[in-house]
Amino acid sequence: MNEFEPQNLLELPTCKCSLGCPILDRLLDGGIPCNSVTEIVAESGSGKTQLCLQLLLTAQLPVSRGGLNAASIYIHSEFPFPSRRLKQLSSFLLSSSSKDPLDRIFVRAAHTPGELLALLDRAEYLIARSVNDSFPIKLIVIDSIAALFRSEFDNTPTDLKRRSALFFKIGAKLKLQARRFNLAVVVTNQVVDLMGSGDGANGVRVGNYGGLYSSGRRVCPALGLSWASCVNSRVFLSRSDEVVNSGGETEGNVRTRRKMQLVFAPHLPESSFEFVILKEGVFGVS
Amino acid sequence: MEITTLPLSPSVRAKLLSAGYTSFASLSAVSSSHLARDLSISDEEAVAILKVTSQYNTLDRIDGSHSILAGAQTAWDKLHEEKNLRHITTSCEDLDAILGGGINCREITEIGGVPGIGKTQLGIQLAVNVQIPNDFGGLGGKAIYIDTEGSFMVERAFQIAEACIQDTFDNFVFHKNDYEACQEKMQPKAFLANIFYFRICSHTEQVAVINYLDKFITEHKDVKVVIIDSITFHFRQEFDDLALRTRLLGGMALKLMKLAQKYWLAVVLLNQVTTKVTEGSFHLSLALGESWAHACTNRIILYWNGNERYAHIDKSPSLRSASSPFSVTSKGIRCLVSNCKRIKMM
Repeated sequence: MNEFEPQNLLELPTCKCSLGCPILDRLLDGGIPCNSVTEIVAESGSGKTQLCLQLLLTAQLPVSRGGLNAASIYIHSEFPFPSRRLKQLSSFLLSSSSKDPLDRIFVRAAHTPGELLALLDRAEYLIARSVNDSFPIKLIVIDSIAALFRSEFDNTPTDLKRRSALFFKIGAKLKLQARRFNLAVVVTNQVVDLMGSGDGANGVRVGNYGGLYSSGRRVCPALGLSWASCVNSRVFLSRSDEVVNSGGETEGNVRTRRKMQLVFAPHLPESSFEFVILKEGVFGVS
Repeated sequence: MEITTLPLSPSVRAKLLSAGYTSFASLSAVSSSHLARDLSISDEEAVAILKVTSQYNTLDRIDGSHSILAGAQTAWDKLHEEKNLRHITTSCEDLDAILGGGINCREITEIGGVPGIGKTQLGIQLAVNVQIPNDFGGLGGKAIYIDTEGSFMVERAFQIAEACIQDTFDNFVFHKNDYEACQEKMQPKAFLANIFYFRICSHTEQVAVINYLDKFITEHKDVKVVIIDSITFHFRQEFDDLALRTRLLGGMALKLMKLAQKYWLAVVLLNQVTTKVTEGSFHLSLALGESWAHACTNRIILYWNGNERYAHIDKSPSLRSASSPFSVTSKGIRCLVSNCKRIKMM
């Protein structure tokens, strides 16, 4: 018996986790793919965390409704965990019949790359043990990866090298677990502003768009080219505030327009559309 | 001298090899009836094989070649061989034009570029295109796809296979009967089944699977392309011992080169890019450094030029340095529609 047997592509599982909105699912052709690492990039206040929370809940939906019938792990590094918002969302997204949806979400904080790696090691046991549960763990969300790397590293060649080695280590570990347990992995990332003409290492074009704009500024995903090589797909969320004159009177309302763009994905073409964040969750606008 | 150099038909050669006759020496002592029994062929055929062998043996002696030179070829032979080399089309005529027909068999071609430029797309396209049957100008081979990054998507491969089959049919005129027979044979599902897919999760696994390839390909002789997507990923993690990394990569390249030569197949390695800072300014270069740059026969860099994707031949012993646009469509890799004739020769 050889351990290297090629896999039959026709038997490879290709499940996806719905985002809970048909329009959003259309952008991703069914949702977040399992056995793959998907990155959601956006500046703060664009809806990254909202989208992640929504995923934690839709993952619990039965497969017939686009979910994974699964529990999830949520690793946060920025805010305290927004449990009240999650509770609120769960009442809208899941039918009342599902019992204690919040019990199926394992939450932990991590503040350094080392902590994250240690946590992922331990998560492996948790996931392996859950395989035969009625809700096995099928989703890992890391919100956000950029915050882990904010403080520890200087802008020196040695530190940058150490940093990119860690990216690949984290990337490889996530992909290994995604593969072993057929997990969907979602990682959020922040943006940095691009100054001047957009030259320099951050000005390198990655993906379908020549430039990414949010709040009227040219931005690019944090952590650079090395990290971009560690994820399979990248989705960009942006916002722009617009003054809308309601009824032509003196008072002007500020309306936020939100856009979701597919920067790159091995299985999808470039596409983009607007979305809104409501009390009931994140929804695409057709 | 090896059996593979004899002017025998491939089927006879395959029979000889599978029966264990790999060298001239093993054939010199055997009788024709014995050989016929071993290969389960007729006596006449066995005699014919032995005749060819003895001719070559005497030729060798006349040339006065010593055992140390056995297997050596003249440059003239090489040139002749090269003329018979097959190419795997990229499905983009412009790109094929600068590559001299497509990706070369018996060579290692490295393809690098930023994330999202289309490396994996090109990889999947080649895994599909290698299967275009001989009758349609293809190789009719199979593909080995070693996925180290998890970017291979079955749904995408299916889409590309479907489009490839459609295009192949559109470009050829058939008799009705042929058409039906081919249509039955060429199904996207069959194309997927002919891609041997290995998913690799660490650099040790990667080295191991490449060591195993030789054995695998002897059992699957119709493999005509090996694609590794990407060669880099697991070698960019913490490698404290950079000398070890260089040795591992070098050894891997050597083994792949041997495979390419031995089985007449194309090896395609996808690579990532990294930023290199020299004297304050930065530029992009392919990952894995200087010593790796020598390992591959050809090097193609994919890059953005405005809103268009371009491929540039960065290094090749036989092709001139050139760039050509290409595009990634729902059907896979194709020509840039807006300007089909814009190959820049430099």
